[in-house]
Amino acid sequence: MGGKGIRIEGLKKRYGSGDTAVDALKGVDMQVAPGEVVGLIGPSGSGKSTLLKCLGAVIDPTAGRMTLGDEVIYDDGWKVRDLRALRRDKIGFVFQAPYLIPFLDVTDNVALLPMLAGVANAEARSSALELLTALDVQHRARAMPSRLSGGEQQRVAIARGLVNRPPVILADEPTAPLDSERAMTVIRILDDMARKYETAIIVVTHDEKIIPTFRRVYHIRDGVTHEEAGEGRPFDGTG
Amino acid sequence: MISLAGRDIVHAWGKFVFTGIGLGLLIGVTLVMAGVYRGMVDDGRALLDNSGAELWVVQRGTLGPYAESSSLYDDTYRAIRAMPGVAKAANVTYLTMQVRDSRSDVRAMVVGIAPGGPGATPGWPPYLVAGRHITRSHYEAVADVASGLRLGDRLAIRRNSYTVVGLTRRMVSSSGDPMVFIPLKDAQEAQFLKDNDALWQSRRRTGANPAFDRPGVPGLLDAVNAAQSTNAFVNAVLVTLEPGRDPDEVAAAIRRWRRLTVYTRPQMESILVGKLIATSAKQIGMFLVILAIVSAAIVAFIIYTLTMDKIREIAVLKLIGTRDRTIAGMILQQALALGVIGFVVGKITATFSAPMFPKYVLLVPFDSVVGFFAVLVICVVASIAAIRMALRVDPAEAIGG
Amino acid sequence: MRRLPLQPRTVALVAVIVPLLALFLFVATRSGPLAPVAVTVTTVESRTIAPELFGVGGVESRYTYRIGPTFAGRIRRLDVQVGDAVRAGQLLGEMDAVDLDDRVRSQESALRRAEAGLQEALARQLHARTQANRYEKLFSSQSTTEEILEARRQESQIADAALSAAREELARARADRDGLVSQRRNLRLVAPVAGVVAARDADPGTTIVAGQTVVEIIDPKSLWVNVRFDQVSAAGLAAGLPARIVLRSRNGEALEGRVLRVEPKADVVTEEALAKVVFAPIPHPAPLVGELAEVTVALPVHSAAPSIPNAAVRRLGEKIGVWQLVDGGLRFTPLRLGASDLAGFVQVREGLREGARIVTYSEKALTARSRVRVVEHIKGAPR
Repeated sequence: MGGKGIRIEGLKKRYGSGDTAVDALKGVDMQVAPGEVVGLIGPSGSGKSTLLKCLGAVIDPTAGRMTLGDEVIYDDGWKVRDLRALRRDKIGFVFQAPYLIPFLDVTDNVALLPMLAGVANAEARSSALELLTALDVQHRARAMPSRLSGGEQQRVAIARGLVNRPPVILADEPTAPLDSERAMTVIRILDDMARKYETAIIVVTHDEKIIPTFRRVYHIRDGVTHEEAGEGRPFDGTG
Repeated sequence: MISLAGRDIVHAWGKFVFTGIGLGLLIGVTLVMAGVYRGMVDDGRALLDNSGAELWVVQRGTLGPYAESSSLYDDTYRAIRAMPGVAKAANVTYLTMQVRDSRSDVRAMVVGIAPGGPGATPGWPPYLVAGRHITRSHYEAVADVASGLRLGDRLAIRRNSYTVVGLTRRMVSSSGDPMVFIPLKDAQEAQFLKDNDALWQSRRRTGANPAFDRPGVPGLLDAVNAAQSTNAFVNAVLVTLEPGRDPDEVAAAIRRWRRLTVYTRPQMESILVGKLIATSAKQIGMFLVILAIVSAAIVAFIIYTLTMDKIREIAVLKLIGTRDRTIAGMILQQALALGVIGFVVGKITATFSAPMFPKYVLLVPFDSVVGFFAVLVICVVASIAAIRMALRVDPAEAIGG
Repeated sequence: MRRLPLQPRTVALVAVIVPLLALFLFVATRSGPLAPVAVTVTTVESRTIAPELFGVGGVESRYTYRIGPTFAGRIRRLDVQVGDAVRAGQLLGEMDAVDLDDRVRSQESALRRAEAGLQEALARQLHARTQANRYEKLFSSQSTTEEILEARRQESQIADAALSAAREELARARADRDGLVSQRRNLRLVAPVAGVVAARDADPGTTIVAGQTVVEIIDPKSLWVNVRFDQVSAAGLAAGLPARIVLRSRNGEALEGRVLRVEPKADVVTEEALAKVVFAPIPHPAPLVGELAEVTVALPVHSAAPSIPNAAVRRLGEKIGVWQLVDGGLRFTPLRLGASDLAGFVQVREGLREGARIVTYSEKALTARSRVRVVEHIKGAPR
């Protein structure tokens, strides 16, 4: 269900109203094709988080248009009624910390999403196991998250983000806690997965090590994005 | 769908079980509290059951013999026995006093039972747990096990010593004191008999009174002394009825023709339960309310804390599309699970600790069932705050920090 | 796909939850009103019953001699103390005679005066009779008048009357004197029988009224126990039955005795039958009079019959009977009961056969619906 990736046009977000109003986003334009990994870079307070939250459908933008796959989800207002279902089915999340559910084992952490969507347990678990295998952590399928290493946890988190085959994955500083070698590995995995599953991946980061690996990078500053071509270096970790 | 609550409980089972045990001890105290009240009511009922009577004839205008003192001439029973509808009538005396044995003394209700036999005469203990019934008309006693007496013990009541020949169980006064059954004649004497010093003083006082010690009338003093040391009174007459007789009718007849106060079983129960233990019952009711509030507060606090610990997970769950209902359900189920663990522990604690209480604690299954549902309701109510907090968690918190 | 849960966690969980649940189930079913009632069971056996009657009474002396003066007076001396043994006829003490001796002397004087009066009357009569005879002769010789003769005759008759008056006067004076003498003899307090002084109610110098006791003598050989038996259980009480007497001062030591007689009059107020039980033989030292005694009278032995302990006797509604154990369930069997003994056994006249299993003790009152658990002995009841 890769579709056409994600496209954002003129997205604006204003916090507050009247004299104290702050325009966090002043018209953001972005487009990420299926199978593509782009970087989103910006200093603190640039509107990076706000953009991510708008994309993640957890806050309401003020104006603009967002298209996910071939469905317009926002056009000066949400076009889908169930934002939870939208998040569950159409958007994958990978966080800075893995944020796995500590009381579920690895498989169920991944399988939880399809289960929430109403997929039968066995089926959800088999698709989870398939992804875990793809990410090479199938041997930890029954472990509890606390028993995993940081890299393993992040892989499971990525598997969770992918399990419902969303058209877009939002990765928020996915490499922050990792050393450069592991960070590279994560980025390579994201790249592999993007291509394998035809998913658009937006990686929010300020990790200097990994920025050169993106083919395309969006810089965000004062609520406006600027597109740049990335270096597109290979993921060999040599920088 | 998997049970999130179940997984969380299994994951953090130690925390749950130990919290549950803590809560359980509190619930146990609550159940014991209710048991104390039931025990008090049951003490009263046991007193009435054990007397074997259907009517209690007492001194006119008194609430005797348990709630007030009452005294009747000991030949009153003959007239009552002759009333239509009366099957049996037997004298009885009740006297609460300290009963001494060789080791210590124990507070007991001494019951004087009319001569006759077990089953045949109202007032006799209806069943024993050891030994035999009284066969001699003097100086034998049947005691309740709660008095700590054993078969063959010699116990002193006033001046006489009695041999314990039988033991009963649950034969207690309305205030829970164990009963000691002794023959009526001895009990009448015990009720009246002063200690020897008092007797000597009384004789000397009488002797010093010129009206009683006249030189010209030898023997008058002895006669007066003798008259002072007899007791022809009993506290009540226990009456059983012929089969098929209406207790109220017979009671009315005795009231009208014998001019005595008569109580039927329901009236007696209302005196014992309604009047004698009314204040205690209210006291216990207050404690139950306080314990319920404390339990609710503790459950609420625990659930709130457990939810607070999971705020991040809840945010993630919400972000990845978990419905509010599922999250609320998870918290509610955890609260209920805590309540169930607490109840199970509480019930076990209460049952095993009940016999250790000095007074009777009666655990009624009905109370347990009510308690169980009360615990569930309290848990539901207590989880509201946690649920409200969980539902207010912003999924955006998971992003960007 | 069925996944196995994590092993150590599950084991620990099971280790906590399973005992907890097991305990809970145990608690729910084995305690409280749902729990079976613990009972002890006994088998009905045939046995002879030796019924006994138990009563209490006081040691009394059959004969009590209360010795005192027959008239008011003062005690002059009293020679015996309480506890002294006395012989029959022994002088115990004496009342103060006051003026009794003087009165006896006065009476003796009066007696002598009466004797003198009699002599005088005799002399007068002799003289009067002589005079009368002389005048008879003078009248027959016509030497005197008839009138004078009549006067002499009358004088003689008067003298006769005066003589018999003097005789009566003498008898009276003698009787008066004798009365005073015997009164003087009564001043002496004398023991009528051999015995022991039980009480000394007055001391020398005390003035007492007629009939008041000065000394009480009892015969220790005549001690008996006046026993009161409750009328309810006095059936079969008869003279001649053997009895065991336990005196309060000799607790536990049973003395032999027998029923001397059963009083024909029972006590109405206390609803007791009275009997006299004598010691056989009288113990030494003699028991104290007034001492409390417990008396057990053995009645003739009843022949063997099915017997049950009285602790098994229960009441259900209007019926008296026992709970019988039939096929593991309870059944109330109404009974007619017969003789019982003091050890607590009752013979069954009707309703039970030998070998029947009946409930003796139970933890709580039984009903036909009670579930029971047969135990050796009820928990909480000290052996």
